[in-house]
Amino acid sequence: MATTTVSQSSTTFSQSFYASLHEIAGGEKVRTCLQCGTCNGVCPYGYLMDYPPGKMVAALRAQRFERVTEADTVWMCVSCYACSEVCPVRIPLTAGLMTRAKEELLLAGNIPSELQVALENTQRYGNPLGESPRKRADWAKGVKPRVPIMSEERRPVDVLWFVGDYGSYHPRVQPVSRALANVLNALHVDFGILGAEEVSDGDSQRLAGERGLFEMLAAKNERALSQYEFKEIITGDPHAYNAFKNEYPKLGIVYPVRHYTEFLAERLDALKSLFKGEVNARVTYHDPCYLGRANDVFEAPRQLLSAIPGVELVEMPHNRTTSLCCGGGGGGMWMDGFHWEKAHTRLSEWRVREAMQVGADILAVACPYEAPRFEDATKVVPGASRLIVKDIAELLAEAMGD
Amino acid sequence: MAERVGVYICHCGTNIAGVVDVPEVTRWAGELPEVMIARDYKFMCSSLGQDLIEKDIKELGLTRIVVAACSPHMHEKTFRGAAQRAGLNPFLMEMANIRELDSWTTDDKEAATQKAKAMISGAIQRVLFHQPLELITVSINPNTLIVGGGIAGITAALELANAGYHVYMVEREPSIGGHMAQLDKTFPTLDCAACILTPRMVDVGQHPNITLLAYSEVESVEGYVGNFTVTVRKKASYVNEELCTGCGICEEKCPKKVVDQVFEAGIGTRKAVYRPFPQAVPKYPVIDRENCIYFQKGKCKACQIFCPTNAIDFEQQDRFIQFEVGNIIVATGYDPFDATRIPHYGFGRLPNVITSVQFERMVNASGPTGGRILLKDGTPPKSVGIIHCVGSRDENYNEYCSRVCCMYSLKFAHLVRERLPDAEVYNFYIDIRASGKRYEEFYHRVMMEGANMVRGRVAEVTDVARTADEEGKLIIQVYDTLLGEQRRIPVDMVILSVGVQPRKDARQVAQLFGLGCDFAGFFTERHPKLDPLLTMVEGIYIAGACQGPMAIPETVAQGAGAAARVAGMIGQGTVVMEPIKAHIDEERCSGCRICNNLCPYKAIVYHEDRQVSEAISALCQGCGTCVAACPSAAITGAHFTRRQLMAQVEGILLDVRQSMEASST
Repeated sequence: MATTTVSQSSTTFSQSFYASLHEIAGGEKVRTCLQCGTCNGVCPYGYLMDYPPGKMVAALRAQRFERVTEADTVWMCVSCYACSEVCPVRIPLTAGLMTRAKEELLLAGNIPSELQVALENTQRYGNPLGESPRKRADWAKGVKPRVPIMSEERRPVDVLWFVGDYGSYHPRVQPVSRALANVLNALHVDFGILGAEEVSDGDSQRLAGERGLFEMLAAKNERALSQYEFKEIITGDPHAYNAFKNEYPKLGIVYPVRHYTEFLAERLDALKSLFKGEVNARVTYHDPCYLGRANDVFEAPRQLLSAIPGVELVEMPHNRTTSLCCGGGGGGMWMDGFHWEKAHTRLSEWRVREAMQVGADILAVACPYEAPRFEDATKVVPGASRLIVKDIAELLAEAMGD
Repeated sequence: MAERVGVYICHCGTNIAGVVDVPEVTRWAGELPEVMIARDYKFMCSSLGQDLIEKDIKELGLTRIVVAACSPHMHEKTFRGAAQRAGLNPFLMEMANIRELDSWTTDDKEAATQKAKAMISGAIQRVLFHQPLELITVSINPNTLIVGGGIAGITAALELANAGYHVYMVEREPSIGGHMAQLDKTFPTLDCAACILTPRMVDVGQHPNITLLAYSEVESVEGYVGNFTVTVRKKASYVNEELCTGCGICEEKCPKKVVDQVFEAGIGTRKAVYRPFPQAVPKYPVIDRENCIYFQKGKCKACQIFCPTNAIDFEQQDRFIQFEVGNIIVATGYDPFDATRIPHYGFGRLPNVITSVQFERMVNASGPTGGRILLKDGTPPKSVGIIHCVGSRDENYNEYCSRVCCMYSLKFAHLVRERLPDAEVYNFYIDIRASGKRYEEFYHRVMMEGANMVRGRVAEVTDVARTADEEGKLIIQVYDTLLGEQRRIPVDMVILSVGVQPRKDARQVAQLFGLGCDFAGFFTERHPKLDPLLTMVEGIYIAGACQGPMAIPETVAQGAGAAARVAGMIGQGTVVMEPIKAHIDEERCSGCRICNNLCPYKAIVYHEDRQVSEAISALCQGCGTCVAACPSAAITGAHFTRRQLMAQVEGILLDVRQSMEASST
């Protein structure tokens, strides 16, 4: 991507940045910004950003964009799509404006050190957590029947399961992966994983401004995938889902992909016949930004939850397109300290408060960022310790008597 | 063939000549074997340009004319006139549209010049086969149909009726009055809407020249300008209008209360037998079958038992009424935007978030709260937020500006302060559009009265409190774009100023009358500047918000304007029609009847005795459907004969033909 931080020519930085937006799908719509401020108003951190999206457009128009790259509050953006959702002229604010701005901040060296570490880890180890690539399938130890690894199987499978970074390594999300493996096994799904050949999908790194790294990771994943035969990809990670569905195809990497909730919702009857016990609880569901707003999957997760015997599904005031971000998107997962320093609160805490407000026993999630973030929040928000955070896969496995 | 063709190429200033190389095209045309003379001129439509053509016809004895200029919609009449004045049959003139179809579509000069040549070549080849035709004159029925009894229709009806012409007014609801009848006061003068509207409603109801068909819908329209046959379905109201005195006892006695989603916008009730409001015209109530206990459960009949004139008739059926009119005015109005479509404003979920239509009813003295502004718990609000542009100026819903919301939102701010002087009022806006007469002054007045103006489109309305002072309130989260800060403003009541959108069934109505719709679904006018009331169908006019958002003054002006257009037509007495009609050659017709059902104007009859079909000239609109469909090529469209069209196509393909011939040799 052509970028000029210090302009030598007669084109100003603002002008060249503005022109670069036009190369993004729908980017030319930035010209029609009404300056209505809805994006700034809906932004979960809009109250402390120096340049929320609308004001960033105003700065561009006034040729003051260098001020934007000097402001570290651009890093408060969690790429949650709330602004894009409400923009009346449909400017690609999240995928276009904010992501391009972060690329410029990165180039200018204006980057929180935590984020730097996560990006370096990804570069070195293929995952932002800095874990050993060889241990990527360790979570699956003990699952029976055994989780097939493609390089060992050497045969075509129906479903390739892209496990993702957090599902593979995070101690709170590994049990979610095991639960999903058990559910797939119970349904006799013919599936396999890439194991050590899998690297980060790179979508959050891309949204944190590291497009080059994203493209490198995509190429690595493609090298692994292209060796094997499978009918479709499923994943538990909405960020990986977004990458495979919307971003990899732009790089020529095209596979049919579904989130596991979509895959399972298609097998509702088979699932129901497997349920043994009841989960007697009031359950509320948190729509992940990259499953809901970014990709319009709202009903499949709800269908699964409603199918579990004993579950009373209740909605929080912010649901579906108005869902509140957990704070982990767009690199937020790797800037917790930076965000805390600025806000002295976490977005996940607002979410947990809302779940408490509707009297939920269980906060159900469908994204690997959320179980750890919300579970932490229940420990901090007064009175929230009784709230249980569970991935839908865990609830399904439990109902099957797992 | 010894036709003498003249070709006249217009520069249209730089409109054509800026892209098409006009001198080159003129030179090229002049060298064609069929062409006697080719000329170009800066503005061919000017009187000097027309003189040029007339002079050549007379002096050179031209027998065919081609004018390469703009769309025939603009100037076909002009150039036919020129031909006629010079003694040539006007139908021996053909236009090539090298402006709209050529120069306006591209910057590529070479391609545009080439296309101009192709189109002119097509016109020349076509005009050689033209036949002289005579215009047809038809008489105009002086009656008029007006569809919709809102303020546009009412105005049009009274104008025509007062001029002495008969009007049939068809209204879908039990009463005329439209949206205006729901309003409390009108901006910027703060006139009581009912006080200025109801006298006009009464006039319509009592006028000897107006046949009012309320609770009725148009079923079908046949015919053409001057001679339409209209069929109306008068829905069963189960009340005999011959006997009913409008005393209202039936409404009083009816035990079934129904939430009124139409007139009271869901915040008030009516009975199963009802008139929408006390001043309804006509005065007769109707029984809502879906909610009537008798119709649903087989017993009750309270209305029938108590009716003093025995007017309740449960056996009544829908009736069909047919009549003839010469002109039609469609004034079907608009629907308010459905606020449930915007989840972040909480309408339908948060009890004290209401729409502007609901607020109009609430603040109206004859409305469900008797004019008191109340929260759901029956107490008055201490603070009210008014959100502009709900469903408007938003590509996710309606891209256009609804034009009336700014002003009625400011009116609301005034009304809240008038009824509740201690209440805080906030108006959240993107831009204030106060461009009508005395509108800007009204905006200033409302600000002087103390309304808080916040520039920013509201991001969300929520009941999730973050601080103690937000508890129990509706919180409006907005970025104040002038302050450059996100704000959370707690209020008691939120009014969503919903926009104006086409009626749900606008596209079906358009189909019924043969009208066009724009992208949103509003009916399209013939010309946005110079013919805003006539549609593409001769004799059918549109007035009011069915063609786009507009306030009462413009709606009234359009209603009156449409009436004036119709009166003008009636005054003419006759209308001249193009002689472009289908003709069926009985010798060739095999009697297959394929054309019979295809004809959209029911203009083709079948003669059983001779086993052939015949196109009735008076009904035929010259659409050409039958011509294309006839398997034995027995049908010809005058001025659109096969020979003419094939010659035109061959002419257009001039360079293709030449290059093919060149390559084959």
